[in-house]
Amino acid sequence: MTPFLSVLTSVVAWVVAMLVVASVAVIGPARLRETWSGLRDRLWDARRAVAVVCAVLIASAVGRPPLLDVSRLFGLQATAFIYGLEGGFVAWVQATFATPALTAYFSWVYVYGYAFLLAFPPVAYLALPRTTTFSRVLVAYALNYGIGLVLYTAVFAHGPRNVMPDMVTPLLFTTQPDVMALTSEVNVNSNVFPSLHTSLSVTVGTFAVLTHEEYPRWTPVAVPLSLSVVVATMYLGIHWLTDVVAGFALAFGSVALAYRLVEPRSDPGVPRDGPEDDQPPSEPNASD
Amino acid sequence: MARPITRRAALAGLGLAAASAGCLGRTENIAGRDPHSQLTLEINATPADDDPNGIRIARQLEEHLTAVGIGVRLNTVGQTDLWRKVLINQNFDLYVGQFVETEPFDPDALYGLTHSRFVAEPGWQNPFGLTEIAVDDLLERQRRVTGSDRVAAADALQETVCELQPFSVVAFPDALTAVREDRFEGWTGDRQPVSAAGLLALDPVPADGGSADAGSADDGSATDSGTDGNATATDAGTDPEPETVLRLVTTDDRITENWNPIAAEYRNHGTFTGLLYDPLVRADGDEFFPWLATGWERVDETTLDVTLREARWHDGEPVTASDVAFTYAFLRDTSLGNVETPVPTPRFRGRSSVVEGARARDESTVRLTVADVNETVAARALRVPILPEHVWSERTGAATIAGFEFDFETTEAIVSNNPDPVGSGPLRFVEATAGESVAFERNPDHFLVRSTPEDDADASGETADPRAGVPSRYHGKPAFDRLRIEVLPSDISAVESVAEGLADATVSNLGPESVPRIGRSADARLVSGRSAAFYHVGYNVRRSPLSNPRFRAVIARLIDKTAIVDGAFDGYARAATSPLAASSADVPESVAWADGSDPVHPFFDDGGSLDVAAAREALREIGYRFDGEGRLLSRGR
Repeated sequence: MTPFLSVLTSVVAWVVAMLVVASVAVIGPARLRETWSGLRDRLWDARRAVAVVCAVLIASAVGRPPLLDVSRLFGLQATAFIYGLEGGFVAWVQATFATPALTAYFSWVYVYGYAFLLAFPPVAYLALPRTTTFSRVLVAYALNYGIGLVLYTAVFAHGPRNVMPDMVTPLLFTTQPDVMALTSEVNVNSNVFPSLHTSLSVTVGTFAVLTHEEYPRWTPVAVPLSLSVVVATMYLGIHWLTDVVAGFALAFGSVALAYRLVEPRSDPGVPRDGPEDDQPPSEPNASD
Repeated sequence: MARPITRRAALAGLGLAAASAGCLGRTENIAGRDPHSQLTLEINATPADDDPNGIRIARQLEEHLTAVGIGVRLNTVGQTDLWRKVLINQNFDLYVGQFVETEPFDPDALYGLTHSRFVAEPGWQNPFGLTEIAVDDLLERQRRVTGSDRVAAADALQETVCELQPFSVVAFPDALTAVREDRFEGWTGDRQPVSAAGLLALDPVPADGGSADAGSADDGSATDSGTDGNATATDAGTDPEPETVLRLVTTDDRITENWNPIAAEYRNHGTFTGLLYDPLVRADGDEFFPWLATGWERVDETTLDVTLREARWHDGEPVTASDVAFTYAFLRDTSLGNVETPVPTPRFRGRSSVVEGARARDESTVRLTVADVNETVAARALRVPILPEHVWSERTGAATIAGFEFDFETTEAIVSNNPDPVGSGPLRFVEATAGESVAFERNPDHFLVRSTPEDDADASGETADPRAGVPSRYHGKPAFDRLRIEVLPSDISAVESVAEGLADATVSNLGPESVPRIGRSADARLVSGRSAAFYHVGYNVRRSPLSNPRFRAVIARLIDKTAIVDGAFDGYARAATSPLAASSADVPESVAWADGSDPVHPFFDDGGSLDVAAAREALREIGYRFDGEGRLLSRGR
């Protein structure tokens, strides 16, 4: 437990520090104050999305252990197929690019950068006057997790570091063994397809591009950071290229679906139990 | 897969034209022939997190097979699933794994592993499906004969098995183990440190600020056996000292959810179930000594009388001769006749097959009917875990899921996780959290701890001694009140845990990368005894073309054992040809690894890398063909 708690503490400390800096720099103090005063209304406005994401996270936490057993027993044994498909690509990435500085950078990005990348968008989009984007990003997260969990169950595969230990070093765990205590709490080594690190990061990156007008300063931070997470998953020997490609597909699919499911409200900022309850978000919208 | 169909379809089209031209017969002659396709073999191994070594052997084999034109599916599965696939379902082409026994073993171990009488049984008995009369004859012979005849039989057996290669021995690993010596000492360095015998022989390190008798606080004095051990035992009896916990870490979570000593897919080497359940006889190297038995006597060629020590099961019931008789009948058929065909045990099958009948003569004497076997084999037959009849006789029915029988070939006993295991061993089960940890505690009723210290001082040869015949290093043991095993995600985290003082030793295999990590730690030390649990590539001899011994011989020659020992094991292993290379049994020169080369199936060596041309030539010589792209052709399977 001790290594786990110490890593957890440092992750929380890093993320909080980065959130404070990013909130001031990207959102701006004026908008933050405004958000604070209207927080309850906005959360109420987006209550469905919040409920959905909470439900998915709880289902994922509760359902994952039994689903893992299902995956192990009945899932598609895909390691051999994926390995046959791409062979030593990840080994090549490591052999070609690995330097101690890059290893330090990507290890940091994989754990701390990723946590920050996921934590900031909900804060930033909650600070927008309309809650549509906030709802969309939450729904996109929920879709990523939900579909990811289904795919985890359907596909049983081990990552490159487990299949080619002679060529792929588990760089993250050799340089920061404590981190393993954390990742093993939230993930299992047979959950590699698809890469949720990739899909969630790309989701955030896509939202950053789509909301460039609202937060012009966030895009140049989010896009490189999310691509760094993508590279890190392979550089560190954790994911196959196949997982990453599937992660991209999952991300774009989730974003598109989130836009389709959550329509912009016509009357922003007015807390009312009106239209959203009456008409479920069914018809496609112009903003897709 | 798609190729034959499209070809057929094309030919069918041609056939219409051909029919009108009056040469349908010729078309049939061509289209009726199924084309060959590339041979693809599946290699099964555990992922690096579960075992850092096996997957590297698999990887090398995969590269070499691919190089000679054989398609490979390299499949990683967890340890339970690997053994379920290989041992239970026998649904595999090749696998990479470790043998079950870590202590040097007798040639008779090959009886269970390769005798054709077990060909239809799931479990560790003949998992390869070998059916060779020559092997069977030698296996029977080494059981019967004694002295130099037996050595000759064992030699011939090794030669025959190596020649036929139902499995390729790759290397005997050094059981790399990270230990701390600030709380326990006596980690054996000449064999696997964490074994049932090794854990029992551990000595406590006297605590620094401990009790008044700090006179012998010097570290060295604690090691010299007997008397010191007793002194600590007395202390434990009189003072309410805090309980001593031996903390082990492993990557193998099977012991946290299953404690069934006969469940083949859940047992690795049976270290911990070996401490929960007592065998009649234990072995330490070549030495046999009575354990749950006080002794055994060969009445005549086919009769063996075993007398039992006074002992109790963990639930308080006495251990009786009828439990022993039950155990042997049960291992032969775990259904005890409840299912139409016998369902033999998937573990201990070879050795328990020596005992053909067992009958309790009185409360503490059991008469075993044995085949005409020599003393060594008879004593080996006594090394099975003795099970309580009152627990296991409830589990002889066919295994069911929610009341439905799925498989008539298995019993509840084999599929049971054996929750709250009731053994008679020096450890008893306390609690477990599946996937996380398990705790055992010292059995205060066990004969190892039963005698009072006063008796013990001069109890060398007395019959009244409850521990008569048991070597003194086990008296008063185990040296811990509790044994806690925690599951960690990888060998690296296991080593870190020992280095940081959170654990006393690692259990599961460590990769060679762990060695410098242990070296960097001030308190952790590397202990590496040689294990007899050899790494091997197993072949499913039931399947073509692996059924062809000549084909297996070529595959064996694709394994560069020297490179594996130097690379994957970083030198912490010894390449070998014979499965008995780590045992004290004679290994004939014809199958003894010498000068870095395998005497029977030498690697196709071309200056340190694979000689692809030579390998292909060897395959051609034994009748295999390649297509224009160099792919080995075979009929679809």
